[in-house]
Amino acid sequence: MGSQGDFIQVLQEQGYPLENLFPSANGSGVSRHPEVTQGTTVFAMKYADGVLVAGDRRATAGNVVMYDRTDKVLEIDRFSVMAIAGVPATAFEMARVLEHSFKYYRRSQLQDLSFEGKLRALSTLLKNNAPAALAGTGTVVPVFAGYDVLEGCGKIFFYDILGAEFEAVEYAVSGSGSSTIRGILFYMNRWGNSPISGLNEEDALIFVLRLMTSAAEFDSATGGVDAQAQLYPIVKRISAEGVRTIPADRLKTLFTEKVLNDV
Amino acid sequence: MYEEPYRWIEAVANRRTYLDDQFTQGNPLIGLSFTQGILLLTFNRGTDKIYEVYDRIALGGMGHPADLEKLRYTLLDMAHVEGFQRSPSDVTASRLMKNGLAPVIKQAFEEIFKAPYITKILLAEVGPTQDRDHLFSINYDGMFEEQREFGVLAASSSIRETLAKEWKVQGHPSSLQAALEVSLRLWGISSLLQTDTPSSDEEEKEADSSPTTSVSTIPDDEAIASRIRETLSKETLECVLLDRENGKMETYRSLSQAELQPLIPQYFEPAT
Repeated sequence: MGSQGDFIQVLQEQGYPLENLFPSANGSGVSRHPEVTQGTTVFAMKYADGVLVAGDRRATAGNVVMYDRTDKVLEIDRFSVMAIAGVPATAFEMARVLEHSFKYYRRSQLQDLSFEGKLRALSTLLKNNAPAALAGTGTVVPVFAGYDVLEGCGKIFFYDILGAEFEAVEYAVSGSGSSTIRGILFYMNRWGNSPISGLNEEDALIFVLRLMTSAAEFDSATGGVDAQAQLYPIVKRISAEGVRTIPADRLKTLFTEKVLNDV
Repeated sequence: MYEEPYRWIEAVANRRTYLDDQFTQGNPLIGLSFTQGILLLTFNRGTDKIYEVYDRIALGGMGHPADLEKLRYTLLDMAHVEGFQRSPSDVTASRLMKNGLAPVIKQAFEEIFKAPYITKILLAEVGPTQDRDHLFSINYDGMFEEQREFGVLAASSSIRETLAKEWKVQGHPSSLQAALEVSLRLWGISSLLQTDTPSSDEEEKEADSSPTTSVSTIPDDEAIASRIRETLSKETLECVLLDRENGKMETYRSLSQAELQPLIPQYFEPAT
């Protein structure tokens, strides 16, 4: 009985094979070349009203585009979002474990898990996943963003593949397209008209769409925006009211007016 | 000494008497389905009696808090493991009741060397439409029933029958306010009948001699209203709404006193 509110412990007691959650790197022995498969662009940034988290929608295998409508920005609960880069199978499984862990904790302990507790939970999953990550078969490098109800502010954290967590002051990026936009974010934050944290929602969304377009320009594994196919990034907004998805219609209008025709 | 069948039956009968007696002090609990969702209502003296089980499922309990807590964990574990391994839509109150709760409670009741669970539980599952709502109530002996619109936990089966009849008369509430008024009224009737019943022993005899005519008469409106007012001044009104309009994930919402007060102002005013 998970009287401590630990869902993974409950799974274990019910006989769920934990190797499913944390595959080890056995078989191949020591990892030879940890091939980092994280063809994607996800990022989170703080703006005037909270936090925006965005992700492109392309899934690739080598040089093949597998799928163009992937959702990499996953709502874990009312106040937190995980944006994933890395091996999708492991990342989606982690998201499912987190979602159920938080639900289970809230319902059994009759209180919400603190934001720090949520961060630890993801860190633990990543740490247990380290063998698979090092073998190159289960690398996940997520960005975790949420609203800290206790402190009354939005927060962004990013992780390395072994589970170390780092708090981002203004923004965090992950995936193969991130090096492109990291430079832009740094430049705009320092020498732009206003620091990113001062942008209103509309300007922040325009910025997100332009960043995604830039990432796709230089990274073949990033889907960017495909207006012809009505394909827009997934963008979620986190504030005191919780997580809200920005409707594709709004992104479409902004993209047409401020990205395509504003050069 | 319990090897003989007769002794065993006698022991189980003693157990019933003991348990029936335990519930005479309990707080009745009402669950009813209406247009917006399912409303669960009871009063408590400090410990909550209504809990969230899963995305669309809540439980209400009557009896010993420690037993309720233990069974609550059984349900939580089962629901979350199922929802994780399969899908949240595979977690149903029906399966939780039939596979999870009923066998455990029945076994504890019949193992006469061990203590039974002193608890009755109502499981409510809100569906996407009202005709897919489910309410299950289980007695301390593991007997359960399924209802579509109305479920109740009460001290005795005769009170349950009375309330079921009264519910049919009251009709189908179409708003939260109406649902709240009907539930409170039914709670009041149940509470009055429970304290008016002389004792469990006598009631049992009555029930034995005339099982079909054991339905009690409904107290008058003024008595019901004053019981509700009196209880409101001493205990906490606990109301939970499983809101079907609130999306798939988070239907469970506890209604605060500030929310409740404007909906039923008549009970908050001092009796004139």
